[in-house]
Amino acid sequence: MSAAPAASPTLAVALEAEDLRHRYGRRVGLERVSFSLAGPGAVAITGPNGSGKTTLLRLIAGLLRPTEGRTRLRVGDAEVPPAERRRWIGLATPDLAFYEELSVAENLSFAAEARGLAAPAQAVAETLERVELAVRGADRVAALSSGMKQRLRLAFALLHRPAVLLLDEAGSHLDEAGRRLVNRVVAAARREALVLIATNDERETGLGDQRIELRGRGLGDPA
Amino acid sequence: MATNGSSSGAAVWAILRKECRSEWRTRYGLNAALLFSVTTLTVVSFAVGRLSDRTDLLSAMLWVVLLFAALASLSHAFVREVEGRTMTMLRLVASPTAIALGKLLFNLLFLVVLELVTVPLFLVLMGGPPPRWGPFLAVLALGSFALGTSSTLVGAVIAQTRGRGALFAGVSFPILLPVLAAAVSGTRAQWQGGAVGADLRLLASLGLALLGASLLLYDHLWED
Repeated sequence: MSAAPAASPTLAVALEAEDLRHRYGRRVGLERVSFSLAGPGAVAITGPNGSGKTTLLRLIAGLLRPTEGRTRLRVGDAEVPPAERRRWIGLATPDLAFYEELSVAENLSFAAEARGLAAPAQAVAETLERVELAVRGADRVAALSSGMKQRLRLAFALLHRPAVLLLDEAGSHLDEAGRRLVNRVVAAARREALVLIATNDERETGLGDQRIELRGRGLGDPA
Repeated sequence: MATNGSSSGAAVWAILRKECRSEWRTRYGLNAALLFSVTTLTVVSFAVGRLSDRTDLLSAMLWVVLLFAALASLSHAFVREVEGRTMTMLRLVASPTAIALGKLLFNLLFLVVLELVTVPLFLVLMGGPPPRWGPFLAVLALGSFALGTSSTLVGAVIAQTRGRGALFAGVSFPILLPVLAAAVSGTRAQWQGGAVGADLRLLASLGLALLGASLLLYDHLWED
């Protein structure tokens, strides 16, 4: 078991969604949803397949522009516009892929340097320890199993110690040891960040203090 | 979250280094580009011999070889990210403008490496007369700059579209044509003892205009 990095100054986080809705062409990606959350803390997002859990996380992360409505994120005293959210948000999602020709550590070093972290090598080393992937740091991503890639996704999301941590199916591909790791990561992160866990796995929904249940019709039904 | 205070510059630099490292590991573009230029020059040299007195033909041929050798790699800078599903990672660590500038710098570096091999080989095999090095290198530099900015911009625009191959040809043609025309004209003029100032100004203008358009467009390109 490895310890979390030294705690960063904890900032109050407020996340709101107002009449948020998203379509992919003619298909509904996310039915209208509104909520108001405050962090640090942990929130589970549940709903049937296709109800928009992943879409909601991508909207919050600023990777998608909502068809209707809006999200608002405040970190400390400052409102963070969608285009700047990558600085404050860590996202681990199943469609997050890495450069297969680079090693685990090189991928994370690239992310740390691109984010402008002051001590990228230290951040990478600490984060790899945190997700128990340090021994595979020199291995190329192409050589990793799906479970190890999932740990790498967690490391990528945690690397810059974000104020908002978005975990999409965080336990997918993980064995029991990996699931215990997710529990420890969430338990540590929720003390200093707002953690949103999108899942239908009861072992993960229990990690949240609150739950947002998306009531979309599922399977991306046509509007 | 401690940052070094200049995250945009850091992101551009990090992306450039990542591109170089990936290219070095995979040789995805450079081997193919060098194979094309070396093979083409060798075959043409065997077929038609030295063309010392045909500077008009030499000028066109130099830029055609450079264009076709470089284009596949330059235009795929963003397509590789989409097909490798790494675009999400990139977008989470850097702004669209930083991503595009990092890619552009890599493409320009790629062109320099390609030209370091191709141009001397071209001069030797095709029997080109000794160039006036100042004007020749200026045309080469500004032509490469305009070629790099145009192909990077078009590559970014088409990366997430369906039928991107056909779209690339259609979108590139009107952008690349004036770039190549000015580059060929300038190269011919320096060999024929003419003035290259107008061609240099045109290449610089095209390159800067494309760079400016890119900086305005990149922030809006990847919004779903």
